[in-house]
Amino acid sequence: MEEQERGPRLIAVGAVLLLAALPVSGRSAGRFDQKLPVDRQIVHALNRLTFGPRAGDVAEIRRLGLDKWIDLQLHPYQLPESSVLTDRLKTFTTIELPTWQILKQYPPAPAVFMLRPPSATAMQALSPLQRLKLTSGSADERRATLTAMDPETRRLVLAGAFPQMLDGLPEDLQQEAAKQRQAEQEGLQKERQRMTPPLTELLSPDEIRTARTGTREEKLGLIHSFEGDKRQQILRALGVQTFNDVPALRREASAAIQPQQFVHNELIENKLYRAIYSNRQLEEILVDFWMNHFSVFDGKGSVRVLLTSYERDAIRPHVFGHFRDLLLATARHPAMLFYLDNWQSQVLRDDLPFQLPAGAQRPGLNENYGRELLELHTLGVDGGYTQQDVVAVARAFSGWTIYDLNAYAEFQFNPAGHDRKEKTLLGHTLAAGRGEQDGLDVIDVLAHHPSTAAFISRKLAQRFVADDPPKSLVDRMAVTFTKTDGDLRAVLQTLFASTEFLSEGAWQAKLKSPLEMVVSSVRAVNADVEDTFALAQRVADLGEPLYGKVEPNGYPNTGDAWTNTAGILGRINFGAALTAGQVPGVKVNLSRFNFKDAATVAGEVLGVRPSPTTLTAIETGLQDKEASPSILTALVVGSPEFQRR
Amino acid sequence: MLTRRYFLRASAIAMAGVGTAPRWLARVAAQGEHRRKILIVIFQRGAADGLNVVVPFFEPRYYSVRPTIAVPLPGKPNGALDLDGRFGLHPSLQALKPFWDSGQLALVDAVGSPDPSRSHFDAQDYMESGTPGRISGDGWLNRALPTVARDTSPVRAIAIGAKMPRTLSGNGGAVAIADLQQFQVRNQDSAGILESLYATTADAQLMAQGKRTFDAVKMIAAINRQPYTPNAGVQYVGEFGNALRQIARLIKADVGVEAAFADILGWDHHTNEAPQLSGLLQQFGTALAAFARDMGDRMEDIVLVTMSEFGRTVQEDGNAGTDHGHGNVMMVLGGSVRGGHVYGRWPGLEPEQLFERRDLAVTTDFRSVLGELVRGHLGQPIDPVFPGFTPSEPLGLLRT
Repeated sequence: MEEQERGPRLIAVGAVLLLAALPVSGRSAGRFDQKLPVDRQIVHALNRLTFGPRAGDVAEIRRLGLDKWIDLQLHPYQLPESSVLTDRLKTFTTIELPTWQILKQYPPAPAVFMLRPPSATAMQALSPLQRLKLTSGSADERRATLTAMDPETRRLVLAGAFPQMLDGLPEDLQQEAAKQRQAEQEGLQKERQRMTPPLTELLSPDEIRTARTGTREEKLGLIHSFEGDKRQQILRALGVQTFNDVPALRREASAAIQPQQFVHNELIENKLYRAIYSNRQLEEILVDFWMNHFSVFDGKGSVRVLLTSYERDAIRPHVFGHFRDLLLATARHPAMLFYLDNWQSQVLRDDLPFQLPAGAQRPGLNENYGRELLELHTLGVDGGYTQQDVVAVARAFSGWTIYDLNAYAEFQFNPAGHDRKEKTLLGHTLAAGRGEQDGLDVIDVLAHHPSTAAFISRKLAQRFVADDPPKSLVDRMAVTFTKTDGDLRAVLQTLFASTEFLSEGAWQAKLKSPLEMVVSSVRAVNADVEDTFALAQRVADLGEPLYGKVEPNGYPNTGDAWTNTAGILGRINFGAALTAGQVPGVKVNLSRFNFKDAATVAGEVLGVRPSPTTLTAIETGLQDKEASPSILTALVVGSPEFQRR
Repeated sequence: MLTRRYFLRASAIAMAGVGTAPRWLARVAAQGEHRRKILIVIFQRGAADGLNVVVPFFEPRYYSVRPTIAVPLPGKPNGALDLDGRFGLHPSLQALKPFWDSGQLALVDAVGSPDPSRSHFDAQDYMESGTPGRISGDGWLNRALPTVARDTSPVRAIAIGAKMPRTLSGNGGAVAIADLQQFQVRNQDSAGILESLYATTADAQLMAQGKRTFDAVKMIAAINRQPYTPNAGVQYVGEFGNALRQIARLIKADVGVEAAFADILGWDHHTNEAPQLSGLLQQFGTALAAFARDMGDRMEDIVLVTMSEFGRTVQEDGNAGTDHGHGNVMMVLGGSVRGGHVYGRWPGLEPEQLFERRDLAVTTDFRSVLGELVRGHLGQPIDPVFPGFTPSEPLGLLRT
């Protein structure tokens, strides 16, 4: 490498900039037909098939043989699961629950605050004639109606009387109304307070102080000294934030205050634990990939509580199976039906009474799912379909809805809402009157369409090879896809066995997503993770809230979305916080790096010898000063080189 | 007035932190005389109750359907502040009244989105995307800014908060700053090394973004070293006040801010609206007024616009609150604004005049308001900003 001038850092930087002949337009990429040297192949495979290499991974694969290791990852049932993971997952109570149990045990936040005033109930209970007279009658009519009521009803109606009703009435009725309105407001206020007593009524000032600022043991002791309703009231009054430092209490408060968010948090934490600890890394990568491909947004209505089942039942079982089965599972799952509105897609039939599923608001055909199914899930936007095809698909799926969204949330086919007329799409004709079979046939047509083979193959190649993968590879994968009837394991085998996969062109070609950056750093420093809540927050802060992509196209598979000022600063600062032991729930022990130089530390964290530019910048900057393992690892984790995989 | 000497002194501070003056700062210095125009966007998240903010006290129906929560007539205790004999300001917005009187505050009523959604997140996404009915990949304000060039300031577009709001998301180089004090490399000793790592990497994209990152960090560090004193008598209070204070600080540091965004939560008053709205408007109004007074003469070059995803029901609900509605209010504040006027066609409150017989109708598209500001204040074309939108006749919000 060129001579570096010692001296003020800025000049050194400038000198490097001037002297280094770096291409301005782009990274000088190697070629996809040049195979990587063997020592790099293993690290590369780790970077692509796992969430990041850990200490000892390279040696283990060298012992086992790369091909054998890849094969094991493709057949994960042969791999024993990590005992650390099994242990961590024990804390979760909702991950394995069927949806109906989740709905039953974790309802939407109790409507404690939505008290119905008795006056409103009383008004509703009046006869239509009485209501009409009270709202539009003359002063005499209104007075007569009121005096004809029994005293109790009159009292309640007066409490809720609006000015127009009282206009022109005798003074005593007006005053009575004012008095009753006051009494009702006070009664409601009391009721609200009874249901959610203020903190000062529940705990002494000392206890409040302990709850807010005590040690973990003190907080646990305090809360555990209460039981049942009182404990719930105390947790509600204190709020979830109070217990951010005590995971067990945080979970309990969350379950009491925001049950459905609690369920969702378990799902998020589960995902992070698996990404960090699972031995079946490729499976976790694929679950993440396919959840993103069939993306749903956790912020839309019921989706939040349906996600646990969606990932477990619709996605995970199929990631090594056939694409058609995966596609059908997502098409039928209430999470997708709700998110893309297909559950409300109904067509009026003239021969059956028209029925809406409970909660549905707008009758009529909804094209949202049909369009995204074609554009995002199967053929791709350039896959060769028309607007007519979109409508035909939507018609085929009309009547695919959700049974009892709030209690069961299961798939239901509603013949009364299904368009039974003949449909034509992509050259196929679906005869009239075949009900649910229409949708099943559309799934088959789309799963076997050549554009789907190409679209899915390209997306997989993007994830595992490069943002712009070589067409030759994509074509071969598509051939495998078609020949094996969409066998995703076979397609991956074609991918992993290819020259392009282990080529110079693929080496460090991908930019890590926020999830990948956070998890790979945790793995690289071999951190001991006991609570993933803070890590999930960091991933969200870096721009990738898990399950939180609003649009159905999911998070991008390419790197340009992640490089922005806040993202880079965020990654640098996360690395520093992690290695300093400042991320709650994550314990880091860097003593094995003691007395090691920058090159060694960087090599162990990256899994491979660092590039000369990385080493130069670090060594020049340190200028022979001793740097603690914490500083060194922070520099490596924050470096541009670590952002690549 | 922004004198060259004032400007050079301020940017010397910024330059000292950055080292050799980067090209964008040189350009800013050159433009100092031309007075950069700044657009500030404030989003009230949760659907603010426009009918109680700009009170149509001339409508008897307003009082008959809101027996508990209507703002009383001007002159009555807690009554509205009379603006023009028909509309009044909620009394908690007392702090903004002088700006109405001096012609710097304009109000647009019955304004909103043509999309009928009453879902908070949908409607916010549509409004922030600038594409009602669908969510765009980036925000309207991002599209309203000129493309990032090598000499574009790294803080030309700032959002106060931890997350990048949709309004500014995109490739316009906006930065989300939760707190100026915290916008720095955590380990100061490592900052120089990290900077050189990014400056020498073979990855062109990371190099370019890294440079912008470190330029922004150093610049903000330099700003942080100078304690900030607002104009005499100005006090920023509360979280929202603090957000505006940070925007003010950055603007006064003359580092090329062109657009800024802040949001204020808590407007979703389904129950017990009156006291909550009162408190929130108090915060809102005093913070906006503080900002305007702090900026002083610079308000000539600044326009601040407020918006909310939709309004609330005309009739109050059974819990002394309101439900999600449709038409709402936008405020436009600035030295070049033709203020002292309520813009927009008032649709009326009779049942047949309401949207779906329950909400204030929308007679002005929010994009008409924003479009006028993009074109008239920022001097940018509006077609790329609001694709597919043809504005109706101009409102005339800005003095030409």
